[in-house]
Amino acid sequence: MLARRAVRTVGVCTRYCTRYTSTVGDEPELEDYEEYPSDKYKRSEEMIQRFLRVDHAGEVGANDIYAGQMAVLGRSKEAPLIQHMWDQEKVHRDKMNELIVEHRVRPTVLMPFWRAAGFALGAGTALLGKEGAMACTVAVEDTIVTHYTDQIREIIDQGKEEEFKELLQTIKKFRDEELEHHDTGIEHGAELAPQYKLLTKVIKVGCQTAIKVAERL
Amino acid sequence: MFASKWLQRIVGYKDCTSQSFSKVIRNYSVLSRNCPNQNSTSSLPGNSIRSVQTHNSEKGEDMKYDILEASLKHVKNHGWSDAALKLGIADMGLSEACISMFNLGGVEIALHYDKTLNEELEDMMAQQQDDRLPGSEPPPIAHFLKDAIKTRLELQLPYYDRWAEALSLVVDPKVVPRATEQFAHLIDDIWFYAGDKSTDINWYTRRATVAAVYGMTELFMIQDESPDFAETWAFLDRRLSDLEKMGENRLELEKELNNVGDITKAAFIIARNMLGR
Repeated sequence: MLARRAVRTVGVCTRYCTRYTSTVGDEPELEDYEEYPSDKYKRSEEMIQRFLRVDHAGEVGANDIYAGQMAVLGRSKEAPLIQHMWDQEKVHRDKMNELIVEHRVRPTVLMPFWRAAGFALGAGTALLGKEGAMACTVAVEDTIVTHYTDQIREIIDQGKEEEFKELLQTIKKFRDEELEHHDTGIEHGAELAPQYKLLTKVIKVGCQTAIKVAERL
Repeated sequence: MFASKWLQRIVGYKDCTSQSFSKVIRNYSVLSRNCPNQNSTSSLPGNSIRSVQTHNSEKGEDMKYDILEASLKHVKNHGWSDAALKLGIADMGLSEACISMFNLGGVEIALHYDKTLNEELEDMMAQQQDDRLPGSEPPPIAHFLKDAIKTRLELQLPYYDRWAEALSLVVDPKVVPRATEQFAHLIDDIWFYAGDKSTDINWYTRRATVAAVYGMTELFMIQDESPDFAETWAFLDRRLSDLEKMGENRLELEKELNNVGDITKAAFIIARNMLGR
């Protein structure tokens, strides 16, 4: 430990002073910025923490929405379609789980609440019939697509495209797949759901509130 | 007059009287870059590149780091107090007015020391992770936690006599936010290197429980008089095994809670059947 400190001291002096004469004898000269071992494992910055926290909450919640829909419509004609969309969401969720571990992000503390609410939303709208389930899908996916687009725009605005290239690609890919789900919902009769406009409005507002809360909490 | 001549020597400017204090501070950084032998940063123990990398955002921060390092030497005699800060500032050859940079007073020395030790522990854990052969198993969690907590507590031994004082100062409401943030980062780092990959409420319960264990062990250690703190490490062992038992009970509880989920699902299925879908 002492030797390590002495070597560091040499490093600092070459950064600060041009005419430093080493007082530590035979220690080797260091580059200006020697990396600390913990530097590659540092927590990521605050913006990414917020983004990943809410994205993770969103994907886990979306999984539960589809689970709720399947619980009610699991034996109907639309079951394969909903199952297919659910499987895609499972891939999203697994990727998000990986990302939050990799970037050392704190997950949202209200996770059990989001999960229960998602299940209730999926099952509740599915009880209105297949159109209800599709309307719920449309509303949720619409909010998520807008949200992902906002995130992409913010990363690019801050000029961090290169720094977070992989993350940006992942978010773009997910955004495109969610858009597909939205279009599938419309195709399969979402607009025929009872009180379609009101239903989608309420769901969208709920999702946007959840997003705002999950970012910080 | 005298003051201005003194400032002149320090800052090396011909006309100091019109200089504002903030300029003096800024010029200090310039001075330390140009002057090969006067700057005290190189001779202080433990001062390292980390201060440059992490405090680069504002030049004044480097000076804060250096003053706090200088003040550490006086903590043995004066405690975590303004007096130690003043002596540190005097060691650096700066004006006494520099003490206004430290809003919380002497506690800042304790917080700074705590932070440097946390960073040291982080480096040790990262080094251990890097040195581990690629295919090998990571150490069992309880073992790692004990190792990490023990190492971190032992790092504080040089200031053991002033430790209780530091703990009592940190309870002040002005200090609590910063101190808890630092502590939370420490516990998060320990869990990260232990291999925690949880993504749900477990993330919180794990950190809360280990934080509690760490706090209790620290308090125990302050009043422990056994040779080599053997009693403290035994205490730590017992607390960690308590955690393991709690963990096992929790798994049982989770299985029961899953039943609640199934029951809710069943309620929806019944509703669906009644609605004839």
